[in-house]
Amino acid sequence: MKDKIRQLYALEQLSGGHSFVHKLHPAVKLLTAAVFIITVVSFDRYAFGRLIPYVFYPALLMALSETPYSMLLKRFLFTLPFCLFAGISNIFFDRASAFAIGGVTVSYGVVSFFVIVFRVYLCVMAVLLLVSVTPFAEITASMRRLGIPAVFVVLFEMTYRYIGVLFEEAYSMVTAYSLRSGGASGIGMKDMGSFVGQLLLRSFDRADRVYSAMKCRGYALRVFPRGRGKLERRDWIFGSVTCLLCIAFRIIDANALFAGIFRGIA
Amino acid sequence: MHMADALLSPAVGGAMCAVSAAANAYAVKKIKKDDLCEKKIPVMGVMGAFVFAAQMINFTIPATGSSGHIGGGILLAAMIGGFPALLSISAVLIIQCLFFADGGLLALGCNIFNMGVIPCLIVCPLVFKPLLKNGRQWGRIAAASILAVVVSLQLGAFGVVLETRLSGITALPFGTFLFLMQPIHLAIGVAEGIITAAVLCFVYKIRPEIMESTFDGAAIQNGVPMRNVLIVLAVVTLLVGGALSLFASSYPDGLEWAVGKTAGVEELEADGAVFKGAASLQEATALMPDYDFKDAGEDGSGIGTTVAGMVGGVLTFVLAGAAAFGISTFKKKRKGASPA
Repeated sequence: MKDKIRQLYALEQLSGGHSFVHKLHPAVKLLTAAVFIITVVSFDRYAFGRLIPYVFYPALLMALSETPYSMLLKRFLFTLPFCLFAGISNIFFDRASAFAIGGVTVSYGVVSFFVIVFRVYLCVMAVLLLVSVTPFAEITASMRRLGIPAVFVVLFEMTYRYIGVLFEEAYSMVTAYSLRSGGASGIGMKDMGSFVGQLLLRSFDRADRVYSAMKCRGYALRVFPRGRGKLERRDWIFGSVTCLLCIAFRIIDANALFAGIFRGIA
Repeated sequence: MHMADALLSPAVGGAMCAVSAAANAYAVKKIKKDDLCEKKIPVMGVMGAFVFAAQMINFTIPATGSSGHIGGGILLAAMIGGFPALLSISAVLIIQCLFFADGGLLALGCNIFNMGVIPCLIVCPLVFKPLLKNGRQWGRIAAASILAVVVSLQLGAFGVVLETRLSGITALPFGTFLFLMQPIHLAIGVAEGIITAAVLCFVYKIRPEIMESTFDGAAIQNGVPMRNVLIVLAVVTLLVGGALSLFASSYPDGLEWAVGKTAGVEELEADGAVFKGAASLQEATALMPDYDFKDAGEDGSGIGTTVAGMVGGVLTFVLAGAAAFGISTFKKKRKGASPA
């Protein structure tokens, strides 16, 4: 339980770095991540070779931003189960053989299984890298600039901040429960109503107090001009190069080209 | 129940994003009309965080040894009303997507729809509230919450199956997928429904005014024609899905899938049998892949092309890895050279 909350704020700590990627404009980072994901997702389900060039994006971004690889990889593994389920079913339902290598026939199902896993890897990495190089305040600032209503952005900020607070509350309640119940690991079903209900009431009261405190400090639902405004030259270069490459790899089969060159040499 | 980007096609993902954005925008508009809007926001934020904290509390299901956690859509809708609950759930889902990689960026639309719009805007006003119209005794609250949670989970699971199927990434047949998803979510729904019922009964006993206010007083709830919301959502889905598929079909190199899928969407609403036909047709065409392993290369051998393709792929991976490794080593060295 404690682990999960540490996970949440660990990414935010990473986002305080000073690398080239961190300094990019948040809107540019968001746009390139979106273009990357959409192009990756738009390939059909057997296009493993076509997806390979896209591995450069997470690899280079991670190296440039000095993001620890193991941390992101762990999160990728957590997201895998549902996709593995969908992927493995492909192996069973899609048995037409795609090609044979050294006497072993590989079916289309197997190919599409690897395509799904690889796709998950690319998409998850793109999102996690986006967050690990962009401070939270800049994320919300660009949400505002994108025209998302202030009501929602403030709500988003508050939810994020209060997760930590309410988590502490829940954690101490769970600890108290387990101490009084001889070290039970979960909450018994019959106590769940009053337990969660209690947490809910405490949250409600806390929200009241938070509102009063905010009001005392002059809170009003205004749009605050925050974050950077203009795009700099490096933003233009990074954004256009990355997006163009993503689209180019979508149109040109780079892997086949590469293979052709390799065959030419051999 | 979180869907991932990898299992979605851009047309389905884009259309669902538009729908969920529209639903959220509508909710924001409704809430802004409320005089207490400013005060509602901290409550909504803290309640969103509460859902997060509550999901981390595992309960033990008696006699099975397994454990589960609550989802919270109906619970929030009952406590603070449908529209604020939708916004809270959306915020929670965005945080889960960004910071835990639970569900993807493109899949956000689907996830918000399946876990937010369905319980808060569809099941809560159509199932939960009517059941509690005439009195709120213990038994009624329990029955209404169990039923509402079960219905919204069933609809949500059905949404997952439908969206995945329309995207055409997995080869799992529609029926099989459905038979896997619905019973699992029925079991989850019953457990979650019982917990939701217990929580709501407890809260109602201790602080009845919280639920009373969302049912009776709240200006937000009054005069919201549910039909209009649903019509708007349907129109947005069709428009965006149609526009995206037109855009996709104008590509020469074949985003054929998008057309097939979107044709599938329209057929589905018209007729189940036609949809089945379209789905099998689409299955047949999908078996002719872009990536042509069997294709003979210029030097005549199909195997040669395959092997060359594989070696090329491996080399690309190695190159990417080497570049990343090179950059990090260079960076480390530079850091070591200039101790700041």
